[in-house]
Amino acid sequence: MLALGALSLAMTPAHAARELLQLFVTQPYLELHTGPGRGYPVTQVVARGESLDVLFRRTDWFKVRTERGVEGWASARELQLATLADGSQFQVKMGDRAGFASHRWEAGIFAGDYAGATLIAAFGALSITDNLKIEIGASQYTGNVSDGELVEIGLAHVFMPEWRFSPLVDLGTGYRWVQPKATLATPVDRSDEVGYYGVGARFYLTRRFFLRGDFRKYVVFTRTNTNEVNEEWRLGFGFFY
Amino acid sequence: METRIRLLLLSIAAAAMSGCASMHWPWHHHKPDAAPSASSGTQDVDAPPPSVIEPQVERREVKVPKIRAKDIELGAYYGELSIQDFGAQPVEGGRLDYHINEDLFVEATYGRAKGGRTSYELLSGNVQLLSDAERRFTYYNLSLGYNLLPGEVFIGRNLAMTSALYMIGGIGNVKFAGDQNFAVNFGAGFRVLPTDWLALHIDVQDLVFKSNDIGVNQLKNNLQATIGATVFF
Repeated sequence: MLALGALSLAMTPAHAARELLQLFVTQPYLELHTGPGRGYPVTQVVARGESLDVLFRRTDWFKVRTERGVEGWASARELQLATLADGSQFQVKMGDRAGFASHRWEAGIFAGDYAGATLIAAFGALSITDNLKIEIGASQYTGNVSDGELVEIGLAHVFMPEWRFSPLVDLGTGYRWVQPKATLATPVDRSDEVGYYGVGARFYLTRRFFLRGDFRKYVVFTRTNTNEVNEEWRLGFGFFY
Repeated sequence: METRIRLLLLSIAAAAMSGCASMHWPWHHHKPDAAPSASSGTQDVDAPPPSVIEPQVERREVKVPKIRAKDIELGAYYGELSIQDFGAQPVEGGRLDYHINEDLFVEATYGRAKGGRTSYELLSGNVQLLSDAERRFTYYNLSLGYNLLPGEVFIGRNLAMTSALYMIGGIGNVKFAGDQNFAVNFGAGFRVLPTDWLALHIDVQDLVFKSNDIGVNQLKNNLQATIGATVFF
């Protein structure tokens, strides 16, 4: 069996040239669907010991090609039972609680309130460790007196990332642009540096999703003698990868 | 009792066989050993016995190529946007989608149109409620979509394409009549994939925001119907 495996490996140098991952089915059979979803019909199966090439991934599904040249979609959950040519297990990053505790990227959108104005915000974060993240954000608010935009970069520290409900604190700096409403007497656009600190929490929902809420205080370093302090709260959802 | 006899017989048989193997029978031809030491002609008695199985295949180093993830869609759309009080106008825009899992995706869109003339402006002759620049209608939306009815579309006998009817909703901002407004968008769309990398879309959405552009504070509904194409990468 091993010899046969080695022989088949030696006979497929073209596959290696295309830099596709080759996997070997270990379960009795692997089902191939016609589309990347649980409801798509299974029209092909790959038997134990047979190999397949992984063409690309779409969400939690992999488009694969069998030795016979048949293409289809295999689910990540089933495909992670397959092995590599050296016999080691194929590792797939799944969107689950373990992924929530430890991941590299996250992003999300918020709605909320910035100093009485309606706020829309988007954020992205890169994990340095499971606890510490570099966050970037962009937000826009529309108020009765003025509209404005904020961009910011900061650090967030997540306490107990393995908990379903994990609190966090954040701290950062950024820039704010303000456009007073044209109906007011002196419409002067301003741009100021800002600093912020805040508390928040994440709550794991399902799959790759979590809810996130933040409360922040912004200190706007204005050109006048007194700094402006604004409060912001926001609620939204994020997803991790 | 029977077991003891059986054991005894077995041990006798084993002793006899090992004895036979160690004896040098005169009629037995002594074959030269295949081992390299034998070919040199001298047999080193003190050398350790050659191992029975020598691994002839070196352990294969498997380089794990990165699997490309094609979860992002980028494309453009074109259609008609009915701007409340300002007529139905052509709209164009761009969209960026990220598919989180087989059910859900997030979408960012940016679109622009130009408001026409209100009925009041048309009927009253030369009245201009808004300047040309103020008539520019631009918006962006951040939405979450749900693939409500995934499926397949068949054209003829040989062509099957994956598809999905999706619901979408989100928040955003509309800039119109010289004012920025917080907006909510919701609607539905249909996506069909002729190939793994190309998707065609039909979308209907409502952009809702509060505005007082004609002096009255009111909720504005702006219905939009578009067709579009996106590329997966």
